[in-house]
Amino acid sequence: MVTYNPLNALLIFLIIIVLVYLLFRPKKGWFWIVKNNYNTNEKTVVEDILKLLYHSENDGEIVTKSELTSKLNFKTNLIQNSIEKMISNHFIEVENEKIKLTNNGRAYALRIIRVHRLWEKFLAEKTGYDKLEWHERAEQKEHQLNTEEANLLAAQLGEPKFDPHGDPIPSQSGKMAILNGVPLSSLPIYTIGKIVHIEDEPEVAYKQILAENIHIGSHIKVLENNATRVTFYAEGEEFKLSPKVAENLTIDVIEKHHLDENKLVRLTNLKEQETATIIGLSKESRGESRRRLLDLGFVKGAKISIDLINPLKEPTAYLIKETSIALRNNQASNILIKKD
Amino acid sequence: MDTKVKSVCETCPQFNASGLKKLGVNTNNFDFVVALAGNPNTGKSTVFNALTGLKQHTGNWPGKTVTRAEGGFEYDHQKFKLVDLPGTYSLLSTSEDEEVARNFILFGKPTVTIIVVDASRLERNLNLVLQILEITENAVLCLNLMDEAKRNHIEINTRALARDLGIPVVPTSARFKKGIPELIQTISEIANNKIKCKPHRIKNIPKNIEKAVTKLSLEIEKEYPNIPNSRWIAFRLLEGDTQIINALKTGEFV
Amino acid sequence: MRNNNIEHILKLSKELRWEIGDDFHDSLAEGIYADAADLVSNSVTKDNSKSKLRLDTKIDKIVTSKTWGFPIMFLILAVVLWLTIIGSNYPSSLLAQVLLNDFHPLLKTFASNIGMPWWLSGFLIDGIYLAVAWVIAVMLPPMAIFFPLFTLLEDFGYLPRVAFNLDSLFKKAGAHGKQALTMSMGFGCNAAGVIATRIIDSPRERLIAIITNNFSLCNGRWPTQIVIATIFIGAAVPSSFSGLASLTAVIGIAILGIFFMFFSSWALSKTVLKGEVSTFNLELPPYRPPRFWQTIYTSIIDRTLIVLWRAVVFAAPAGAVIWLVSNIYIGNESVAAWIINSLDGFGFLLGLNGVILLAYIVAIPANEIVIPTILMLTVLVTGISGGHGAGVMFELNSANATGVILKAGGWTLLTAVNLMLFSLLHNPCSTTIYTIYKETKSLKWTTVATVFPIILGFIVTFLVAQIWRIF
Repeated sequence: MVTYNPLNALLIFLIIIVLVYLLFRPKKGWFWIVKNNYNTNEKTVVEDILKLLYHSENDGEIVTKSELTSKLNFKTNLIQNSIEKMISNHFIEVENEKIKLTNNGRAYALRIIRVHRLWEKFLAEKTGYDKLEWHERAEQKEHQLNTEEANLLAAQLGEPKFDPHGDPIPSQSGKMAILNGVPLSSLPIYTIGKIVHIEDEPEVAYKQILAENIHIGSHIKVLENNATRVTFYAEGEEFKLSPKVAENLTIDVIEKHHLDENKLVRLTNLKEQETATIIGLSKESRGESRRRLLDLGFVKGAKISIDLINPLKEPTAYLIKETSIALRNNQASNILIKKD
Repeated sequence: MDTKVKSVCETCPQFNASGLKKLGVNTNNFDFVVALAGNPNTGKSTVFNALTGLKQHTGNWPGKTVTRAEGGFEYDHQKFKLVDLPGTYSLLSTSEDEEVARNFILFGKPTVTIIVVDASRLERNLNLVLQILEITENAVLCLNLMDEAKRNHIEINTRALARDLGIPVVPTSARFKKGIPELIQTISEIANNKIKCKPHRIKNIPKNIEKAVTKLSLEIEKEYPNIPNSRWIAFRLLEGDTQIINALKTGEFV
Repeated sequence: MRNNNIEHILKLSKELRWEIGDDFHDSLAEGIYADAADLVSNSVTKDNSKSKLRLDTKIDKIVTSKTWGFPIMFLILAVVLWLTIIGSNYPSSLLAQVLLNDFHPLLKTFASNIGMPWWLSGFLIDGIYLAVAWVIAVMLPPMAIFFPLFTLLEDFGYLPRVAFNLDSLFKKAGAHGKQALTMSMGFGCNAAGVIATRIIDSPRERLIAIITNNFSLCNGRWPTQIVIATIFIGAAVPSSFSGLASLTAVIGIAILGIFFMFFSSWALSKTVLKGEVSTFNLELPPYRPPRFWQTIYTSIIDRTLIVLWRAVVFAAPAGAVIWLVSNIYIGNESVAAWIINSLDGFGFLLGLNGVILLAYIVAIPANEIVIPTILMLTVLVTGISGGHGAGVMFELNSANATGVILKAGGWTLLTAVNLMLFSLLHNPCSTTIYTIYKETKSLKWTTVATVFPIILGFIVTFLVAQIWRIF
């Protein structure tokens, strides 16, 4: 303790704190960067290239080698090596710089997509991770699970057909449900439809969709669509998006509709003294949380009314099947009702 | 079936009070295992205490009895071991409580399952009852808190309920020790095959699911003839329950 | 053959499930409730005209109202705490008198009469017996009052309304409203608070409640806070304010604990626990008159005695260790002195000293014996007169006399403040740690719950000490 001085001690402490922060801060921490680099091997690169090619070919685009290097965040020589390896494994064919998938390659790409979407489904159903994290985590996991593990996962999840964003999950044999729909931004006003897909990339747009509390599976009606704004009505509320963001919502247009969408509202719209009938749960309610709601009697046809308003506004206690059950607003917004 | 239930409800033989002994936690050498299931807040623990003479405390909450409590009673020279299962709203989910309750009824194969329900919240409670009746045949419905139901001006036609559910229904107010002798009598009669239960099976299921379940349960019955709950196992298989998949491989529930 | 059939069944179930699609569970749940509704319509009749205004509804409107909800809540909490503190005073001092002042010398005399060697009677009577007796005397009365009161409120059905009223505060910290109750329970005893988290049926929020329960100042720590505040903080202000100042300091520490509870709940939910499943539901059950005597009986049996027994089991070996470290010598110094010397440097950095750190290490089974251990060790290393010999914990009746010993041990106002902080922010007692392990069945979360508060304690006391010394 010869050199002890409280200022020095504080200084050393601060330096340690800064170091720990630099090492472990989310995403950009040095520790994570090193770990990610360590995990990036040829397999990851090959699989990411296959995925990119698959999506591009589905969209009718042709990919060249130079485009690959610009679109993927890997070193050029790593990509170069991977392409050669993929050619020798008959995953791709290259004709004048244009890269095409072989049948083998397509099957491989489908397998990766299956794992990715299954994992997103898993995160949504069985864990508490935030929606914003699903994609990033699935990007890592898709390179780690083998076919058998993926099949086991699928069985546990009840052989799901769609991932939480609405993308179809290829089955074990490569079967895939078909996703019908067009971007919201392309719809004329008064169109009625259902949100069947919410794109999670780019993150900025996705964040905005989440912040608006837009739910997959919602019935919508377009109220306004021009160069600056797309407005639509859904479940008792109005939503406004920029056309750019609206592109990320896929709508399945409904020609004939038997449900009067004006009467279908979220439970959060229920007022004291009103009574209502539950129409169902939104697709946005998932996993354990959804099961609990069903167990507690929040099922189609149940009568519901407000029992108690909270002194701090939230949660609200609802009277359902003779029992008072308190729900937070984010849960109540996932319950769809028709007021009596 | 109909007449059998009536015979319990209408012409209850004189309750053999001298034949009853509360055994507390002493559950050695029992003849029958009785499971006690029910929603939280239905007075399940009061029923447990009234049957065993124990003073187990569980509060006004779901999830108080996480561990299984056991007790016993003796009636007509037969010893019954009573297992108090965690109070749950359902058996379809993945929480620890539900797993304990579900596994005990399925794999523990209790001779009789007592299902305690709150008489003034019958509809909500039937959710659990109907699930249990898919798993086990021998059950009795303990229609508890009849005093509260009366105060809330609710009347229940127990005979119609017993007929529809296919199991005996015993109204009780365990707090005031009402109906407990009748409950014990009924348990004993089911255990000794004097009452045959023919439980209700879930009906309001969409056609495509019903078809799949029937197909699957037929296959299960081919492999395990005579099991009473092939339909429940089919439900669980479709749900992707890994425990059931493993049990199917080892034949644990035969 | 059989395996083939099973494989066939499993394959079939996979195919069927894929065909049914993602609505399977929903359809099943809805189907069961539809059946239930049919059954009920056949057998239940309800006279709605008479059941409009139930007593329940009236009570609920009051206890969750904007005007009355919070005052009623704080009033009840204050009454419960007041009854506990006032009510346990007398039995506690009686027990201390009988077990420590009367029975302990009696045992010692008896031991010497039957010719028991000094080391054996020291080990058994000064070590094990004294620690166990101390824990019982301090712990039993408040728990025997607090738990039954709490259980009565619980059985009546009031506590779920408290959770309902406070939920939105806890939601902001990523926690469940019911944590308000487990936290309150923690003011009685952290081990009981941890057991009480069973009422939280969401995995993430339950873990948060378990890990942060230690920030509730338990009844083993209140006496420490009061003694130290009286001696040092009360003395630092004009004597007419000393009572008020020390009371404010103690309550301030408890409130600081609540602040740390919210802060760490929030931090945990955003980091290590973000992947755990999180759900919310809160049933508000009907009010039911509690059965008074049965509740008293069962809550004493179920809660008080079980927790007390665990504490005793852990206190006994701790008493033995305390006696041994003070009486085994390496060279010219006792083991205790060696450890204290080597911890002094680190203790100084934290504004504490080696005696305090050693006391917290050996007194891990129960916070109740921290002050007696500190006093004994201080006398041991400073060599001043007082106490009853090496390894014999003691406490003094007057705060002044205690202060004299502590000041002889080099204590300053900073030491006192940091001890109060460290008493709030350190690892849970071993009874609680064991309970956490029993409840979580996870080594990982038990470790987090143990290490996290002590790291926080090191950081906070370190910062306070350095800043204090700069000014």
